[in-house]
Amino acid sequence: MIDVNCYLGHFAFRQLRNNTADGLLRLMDKKGIDRAVVSSAASITYRNTHSGNEEVAAEIKNHRDRFIPFGVLNPGYAGWKDDLKICREEFGMKGLRLYPYWHQYRLTDRSCVQMVHAAAEQGMVISIPMRVEDRRQRSLLVDVPDVEPDEIAGLIKAAPKAQFIVMSGSGFSGSSLGRKDNGLPANYSIEICLLTQDLQNELGKLVQNLGEDRIVFGTGMPFHYPDPAFVKLELLDAPESVKAKIRHGNAARLLGLA
Amino acid sequence: MLRRTFLSMAPAAAVVPQAAGVPAQAGRAKVIDAHCHLEHRGNPAWIELDRALINTADKLGIDQMCCSIVPKTRPTTLEGARQNNEWVLDSMHRYPGRILGYCFVNPGYYRESLEDVKRCVEEHGFVGIKVYNDYRATEPVFYPLVELTIKLRVPILFHAGHTNWLPAPGQPRISDGGHIAELARRYPESMLICGHIAGGGDWEWTAKSLRGVPNAYLDTSGSNIDQGTVELATRIMGADRLLFGCDMLISASVGRLRSAEISNEDRRKILGGNMQRILSRRNG
Repeated sequence: MIDVNCYLGHFAFRQLRNNTADGLLRLMDKKGIDRAVVSSAASITYRNTHSGNEEVAAEIKNHRDRFIPFGVLNPGYAGWKDDLKICREEFGMKGLRLYPYWHQYRLTDRSCVQMVHAAAEQGMVISIPMRVEDRRQRSLLVDVPDVEPDEIAGLIKAAPKAQFIVMSGSGFSGSSLGRKDNGLPANYSIEICLLTQDLQNELGKLVQNLGEDRIVFGTGMPFHYPDPAFVKLELLDAPESVKAKIRHGNAARLLGLA
Repeated sequence: MLRRTFLSMAPAAAVVPQAAGVPAQAGRAKVIDAHCHLEHRGNPAWIELDRALINTADKLGIDQMCCSIVPKTRPTTLEGARQNNEWVLDSMHRYPGRILGYCFVNPGYYRESLEDVKRCVEEHGFVGIKVYNDYRATEPVFYPLVELTIKLRVPILFHAGHTNWLPAPGQPRISDGGHIAELARRYPESMLICGHIAGGGDWEWTAKSLRGVPNAYLDTSGSNIDQGTVELATRIMGADRLLFGCDMLISASVGRLRSAEISNEDRRKILGGNMQRILSRRNG
């Protein structure tokens, strides 16, 4: 089982538990998760996000068989091209995570599209968490809305050769991202941890609309509890072969894992 | 009826005698969703959605759901509340023993709301009262309603939340844990439930605001699946005052309880033991 949505390190506005490599591995073992894609939680609020990438690279050094590192870069910050090279070549990072509203840019800004092209050329996957925290519990200091689905669609169209994972989102049935024949390239997958419309069969509809190859398993640990994602799979009325793709096969293909 | 174990994915499942589907008389504790809703019947798909609720509860081993229907209009009209209570009563008959009813009232309709509560509880067997954000829990309009629920020995479930920017957008009179704690201290014989720790903003604030108020309860429902929510509430409030709830966000709410790193005894209390204790007061 591959979890495409995990984090290491501290977050500025809330204490995280199990946010070290050992702590996260303990949770993964408990839940039967073999490998996890991780990035820095601290980079979400660091000005220089690359410091968080360095922290993650050091933290997972002895656990490369379990963790798949992604970098966090801000295309508006000095030196992102150098940092991207380090992420790929020195740290072996297989992708990037983008936080456009935390880092004050738009996904369709020329600089962002340029960074996505540069990462995609090196075979890196681009993941976009739509939400870091529920806005109703926002900090006293900052108010960061969820990433607009239409903006994600704009980037997807602008970079058809890149591969995207849209994470920590919900309400896809109401947005173009979750609709069948939406005119978008089929170069994005959706991760399931925050899908909420259980009785409306939101996950089942996504499988129908996008196809069983474009849904991936993720929990959001250690921001989130792991089990909500497992319950969604449990409730999904689909053959075991489809669930196996969601648990493992689709992410393995995207990430180039054996 | 096909049932699965509520805790089937939980690490300690094997030692928790909570296998849903095992009849309650065989000795296991019931799993009770203390904060649930039925679909508003203005939605033509309400029959299918209510059926989907029951089917999902069956799959996950939830035995009973304490339900109201939230009126569509704000402030809540008397007619809207009464209509919804009739629909809830109908569903109690459609799914006997599975759907337990909360009587929805706007306490601003002073005399009428008290009459509705008496009728729903005494004649129709509703198990509690549900209020939304028409008034804050600290406003005197609540006093006669709370006094009546003390006589009837039923709880009041508050739609609640605390945001760090006040007033909460669109809900200027929403109650938070602090308001509910204040009302609970004024009426120590009452049973007041603060709704959805995971659906009402800053959950750490909410749990801390309810510390040390023995007759104020907190339900665990909501869409926010932040790790540590249940553990913190258990540490601060004690497991005896936490009630499992879903508020229709079923995978999030069931998953939250499965993941929570608390003792099996505490999990049992939260999943149903505490709510069963509250419900038994009516007949006690």
